Amino acid sequence: MARYIVRRLLTMLLTMVLVSILVFAIVEIAPGNVARNILGAYATPEQEASMSRQLGLTRPVSIRYISWLFGSDWQARVEIGLPLIQTETTQGLVKNARQWWAFAPNGDLMQWDVDGGKLYKIVRLPDGKAERILDDDSWKVDENGQEYFWGIDRGNRAAKWVKGAKGTEYLLDYSGWVEETDAPVEYIPLGKGLLRGEAGISLRYQAPVSEVIGRRIFNSFILAALAILVSIPTAVALGLLAGLNEGKLIDRVISIGGLITAGSPDFATGILLIMIFALWLKVLPGAAVFTSADALWQTPSLLVLPVLTASLVEIGYILRITRSSVVEVMNSPYVRTAILKGLSYRQVVTRHVLRNAMMAPITVIMLHINWFIGGLVVVESVFGYPGLGNFILNAALYKDVYSIEAGAMILILLAVGTQLIADLVYSLINPRIRYS
Amino acid sequence: MEKKIHPLVTKANQDLREGKISRRDFLRFSTLLGLTLAGAEMLAGCAPKEEAAIATEAVQATAAPVATEAPAGGIKRGGTLTCATRVERVDNPATFSLVSASHPWRHVVEYLTQTDPQGVTHPYLLESWKASVDLLTWTLVLRKGIKFSNGQELTADDVMFNFKQWLTESVQSSMFGAMSYLDLSGVEKTDDYTITLKLKTPSIFIPEHLAQYPAGIVPASFGGDLTKEPIGTGAFTMEEYVVGERCVLKARKDYWRNGADGKPLPYLDEIIMVQLGEDRAADLSAYQSGQVDTIIEPSVAIWEALKDDKDSTIVATPTAATRVLRMRADQEPWTKVEVSQALKHCHNREKILALALQGQGTLGNDSHVAQANPEFVDVAPYPFDTAKSKELLAAAGYPDGVTVELAVASDWPESMAYAQALKEDAAAGGFTINLKTMPASQYWEGWTDFNMGITWWSHRTLAPMILSVAYTANPDGTPVAWNESHWVDAEFNEILKQAEGTLDLEKRKELVGKLEVIQKERGTVCIPFFMSVWKIYKKTVHDVVADPQEYAIFYETWKDA
Repeated sequence: MARYIVRRLLTMLLTMVLVSILVFAIVEIAPGNVARNILGAYATPEQEASMSRQLGLTRPVSIRYISWLFGSDWQARVEIGLPLIQTETTQGLVKNARQWWAFAPNGDLMQWDVDGGKLYKIVRLPDGKAERILDDDSWKVDENGQEYFWGIDRGNRAAKWVKGAKGTEYLLDYSGWVEETDAPVEYIPLGKGLLRGEAGISLRYQAPVSEVIGRRIFNSFILAALAILVSIPTAVALGLLAGLNEGKLIDRVISIGGLITAGSPDFATGILLIMIFALWLKVLPGAAVFTSADALWQTPSLLVLPVLTASLVEIGYILRITRSSVVEVMNSPYVRTAILKGLSYRQVVTRHVLRNAMMAPITVIMLHINWFIGGLVVVESVFGYPGLGNFILNAALYKDVYSIEAGAMILILLAVGTQLIADLVYSLINPRIRYS
Repeated sequence: MEKKIHPLVTKANQDLREGKISRRDFLRFSTLLGLTLAGAEMLAGCAPKEEAAIATEAVQATAAPVATEAPAGGIKRGGTLTCATRVERVDNPATFSLVSASHPWRHVVEYLTQTDPQGVTHPYLLESWKASVDLLTWTLVLRKGIKFSNGQELTADDVMFNFKQWLTESVQSSMFGAMSYLDLSGVEKTDDYTITLKLKTPSIFIPEHLAQYPAGIVPASFGGDLTKEPIGTGAFTMEEYVVGERCVLKARKDYWRNGADGKPLPYLDEIIMVQLGEDRAADLSAYQSGQVDTIIEPSVAIWEALKDDKDSTIVATPTAATRVLRMRADQEPWTKVEVSQALKHCHNREKILALALQGQGTLGNDSHVAQANPEFVDVAPYPFDTAKSKELLAAAGYPDGVTVELAVASDWPESMAYAQALKEDAAAGGFTINLKTMPASQYWEGWTDFNMGITWWSHRTLAPMILSVAYTANPDGTPVAWNESHWVDAEFNEILKQAEGTLDLEKRKELVGKLEVIQKERGTVCIPFFMSVWKIYKKTVHDVVADPQEYAIFYETWKDA
């Protein structure tokens, strides 16, 4: 069993690697270029090229892929020769604005810029402010006798300046385009990479993707978890009840009810529920209005209708599968034998029927969890719920590439993970299944 | 009151007496020239024509922005106003390109002037302004003692900084195109509270332009990102700003204006603005179940659903806001004027208005001048005549018709309805229109690039304001940044410049009438309708300002406890 799990984990890893290459490649070849996307229609080709360099888009694809997954700070560290450190500061409403610094042996945090051909270092003071000091002796000399310097610029990039090189870069400043003639000749945009919890800066939100997506994952997780907690026990119980009473009135009622809830699309169910509970009865909120970040704790009633909407479709679906599975098992020879040998009805149901009849629903449930989380986007849309599905949809609409990549990876991880769990649960309830 | 009265005011007063202009227009133009409203009122009072309603409202909103009279029951202070709107990504207010970006932030940053619902512009952060006889020199005088939320006083240096942002081309502020009559070198600080503007060409729109949504005043220390430095003179401070989700504004204690009860504004303690998904699909249910007090910029569908709701106050205002079908004048097939004319003949305007807006709006004649603009001249549009369209196409060298691709943002139902109606009707006129639908975000990315597209344009008070932003050229003849149709017409430019420097409404109407005809005949835009807009809010909310510009202003709004 342990070997099996290890093997499965390795396959899972391999799947994730292949998938990550695929996700990266798809976003890469999709039309529209990131630089153009940021700059809008008015930028000149020179400005666009300059922006591409600053974003590191001119680096080889393989290196960008590795940087996306594992970060680029360790690559830059080799060039700069000093450890790199990330600080977080609060600027106005922007909490934890991240900045990269080189960590000098004397404990100074440093960045650099070049002005009038001279190198300056910016040293971070303990109060968070910075001091600019002339540092023109730090130039290094390469094998051709050219003076150069690798440091960190003021835009979270490792940068290589070459003394006397009159490279022109266009920097997008708050006051518009600034033509910088002392610009670096090479950039490595700094970041920790997806696997280390940093998935880039969202182009739409201008905040780290990990921060925005984290909040959304949490919201969706709560919604999905509650919906699963509500729907699965209900569905299994109802399915069992119907299956054990095959052909009776109760079976008919449950089956038809299940058909209706499974058959109505969730946006229709959602709107119907809003009309009944929010507009007519006025007992529940009709939309997920988050008036603060922890609105879910302050007004948990916000969750009721979204959870109910998401659950109803699932309940119908799972209960029908449970029912038919129970009916099938009830008609099987071993159940007949058990009844004939005099076991009580209760014992037959709990010992033989339940276990065997659960195989099909579990497969469906596990396959469904992933579908379910992706499908939540409809529920999220109907209720204006700030969840992951909505986030990925918007990321796609805005071509917010880093968000698309991170979102896709999370959904795929979820798919692969739930499959593994499903397989393990099978072997637990059905000893006939042996993995080796 | 000003001691000296601008000679043009005397002229306007004459016109008023002779019944050539309405009292409302007189008030508008004389206040634009620096006469305080009380003064304008006095002069107007001598005139025979009485428009009592407008006058009373105008008096209440006297030159100094003082809150309206307290109602019988008294104003209640406190409470939270919750609004459904969009929470846009913002950085520099000078580069705002969507009115929705300004909704939350106008409670933090304020404007030098303010245009009221009647279209009269008042000094706001300014104490007064004065124009020279030739309309080339304008003196702006700042109110003293107004403090930014960081404690610094607002001075001429701050205003200079803002003018620098607006008038530097690389900043890409829409103010740059709007204020094409002014160069940065013409802006001078006279003393700590006075700024002198020396214009290149005469214009009377300065006060109105200063009230436009990208003209929010930030301190001179501003680094370029409001979310990092949310500092302004407004009555609220921004406490939380989550793009696409929510923002929270809290009342400032030391705001400079007093309410009707003699204590500092605002009445509300807090404003929360929420965005319910990208398509705002949940706005209606949030409003109906009482989770939000108002829906900002409601769609026609929301208006339809709520128009008979007895718990809501609904105020409709006709505007100059529209959806412009524009064609690139510099690209095939629109380089031939007959092709645009042919397409204009394919418009069944009443049908389009009915389909797009349930008839809630006014008809357009393919010039960007609406009935809601005071200069509007009723120029008849081309009739709906598909045979004529075919003729024109044949004359332009397309005897077999022409196939074009129309970019439409699927989030804008009016645009979609318009595009579909036109696609059907224009088929008989020789146009095969292929719709290329896309999300609005994608549309804005390439809005000036598409060969043909339907663009959202907001309301502007005076007709030449929009015309100069969207249909003029830089001195070198290239289209200005927001000239999406790339249509450049020397005669149009010329007459527009004249109109911008003409106070006399009769003369201005004459000029704008000419502009309408030129744009109708030669322009590469189709404008079949102008929209009405609505303010929709719960009956428990009071004193929401109705405004054709769709600005959301809650400084003097209060709620029943």
